[in-house]
Amino acid sequence: MSAGLDNLKHVVVLMMENRSFDHMLGALHAADPRINGLTGNETNPDTTNEPAQVAPQAEFQSQLDPDPDHSFPAVQKQLFFGTPGPPAQAAMQGFVQSYWDQQHDVAHSHKIMYYFAPGKLPVLHTLAQSYALFNGWFASIPGPTVCNRAFAHYGTSFGKVNLDIFYVVEPYQSIYERLLAAGRTTKLYYFDPSSSTQEVVNLLKNQPQIFATYPQFLEDCKSGALPDYSFVEPNYSDHPGDDGGEQLASDQHPDHDVQAGEQFIASIYNAIRQNPDLWQSTALLITYDEHGGIHDHVPPPACIPDGFQAALTDTGGMPFAFDRLGVRVPAILVSPWIAKATVVPGPEDPANGRVFEHASIPATITQHFIGDYDNRSPREKAAQTFLDLLTDEMRPDSDCPSFQLD
Amino acid sequence: MPQPPVIRVPQPSRSSYQPNRPLSKNSLLQNHVKHFRELEKDLPPDQQTGIPIDSITTEGQAAEYIRRMTMKLHRPKAGV
Repeated sequence: MSAGLDNLKHVVVLMMENRSFDHMLGALHAADPRINGLTGNETNPDTTNEPAQVAPQAEFQSQLDPDPDHSFPAVQKQLFFGTPGPPAQAAMQGFVQSYWDQQHDVAHSHKIMYYFAPGKLPVLHTLAQSYALFNGWFASIPGPTVCNRAFAHYGTSFGKVNLDIFYVVEPYQSIYERLLAAGRTTKLYYFDPSSSTQEVVNLLKNQPQIFATYPQFLEDCKSGALPDYSFVEPNYSDHPGDDGGEQLASDQHPDHDVQAGEQFIASIYNAIRQNPDLWQSTALLITYDEHGGIHDHVPPPACIPDGFQAALTDTGGMPFAFDRLGVRVPAILVSPWIAKATVVPGPEDPANGRVFEHASIPATITQHFIGDYDNRSPREKAAQTFLDLLTDEMRPDSDCPSFQLD
Repeated sequence: MPQPPVIRVPQPSRSSYQPNRPLSKNSLLQNHVKHFRELEKDLPPDQQTGIPIDSITTEGQAAEYIRRMTMKLHRPKAGV
């Protein structure tokens, strides 16, 4: 066991909304070729059969409106356009055609290929280049938010591929229930009551004691009261605050402002970073639930089936046995025990590449805080865990960035 | 002693705040409202909000409905 793992007392997971790897981090390939981002030559055909090329022109807001379709049927088009479909490998050539379907505007449909220029996202880009960046972290399902977030909480979506309210099927328990039963501590921090929690409203109803708010997270970091495992949710809506001020959505879901999400990520990082004891005993994973219909160039790999079959009414008639992953998303593991500028290889490296998905979250937390635990989905049992990235050497304070929020 | 690098994080534009954004633009929030409506059906009539979800048409209205429902299920610690 590494010294970093020996020292680890807390894991914090922050899950943002609806942005693909290439959209947020693809630009970093130019500075570090180990990062499996964009060369700048990637294209998708538009509906006039002209190539729409990736371009570093992503804006913080008002560009991806309407919200790109990321329902299961739309994502199949994004992945398999121009191919016979699964089980063939996805060609990643249908993003522009899929976006065109929403308002039949050829020029607008090209915007689905835009990515953020280097440095435009100072928080995400700095963290990706300072800690461990995963080249191969994929959404669990080629579909929308709720079923993907379910994999982070339960290691399965119980056969769902859509946004419907969730029904838990025995014997799988949420990671929070498992931890409590094992005598561990855990909290699910939502932003505020107006934003609340996504996907696990059933837990909010039945186990309200595991929930707290973002201000409580900041307080718990300051006082050293953070539980073993924390899951943090951003603000999902623009709404008035209790003090009458403006609470800007920070989830980065289109068409919410990406800069507000940058500030939110920085605030979570700073809260941990500013408590020296917490900083050296905490690992922070920042990831996104799914790609939100936005272009990525890496075909999602196959995975072990989850033991469920999706309803054909939810898939547009395509059989789906939860045996392939969704589109690649950003994922960064932060800790002073991680070697600077670690890049975890993905499918681009057949010899050493590792594939992660959201079931990796409960798999990792269970492995570290509980140990042997059998009642888990096949997907979670097969999922890669990530705490082996912690090393024996703690980086000095001067080597770890901090953020100043304007 | 060497100091850690400090990275400035710009504020979003004031014009980003759009609580009147149509709810129809965000399927996630639309479904969030529906999920809470499902929970509300199980509450005794005198504890229900009385808000018809069809009347919720903006993001700000959705947030207010979600706030009222969340407060029925979970009371955050005072002061934080």
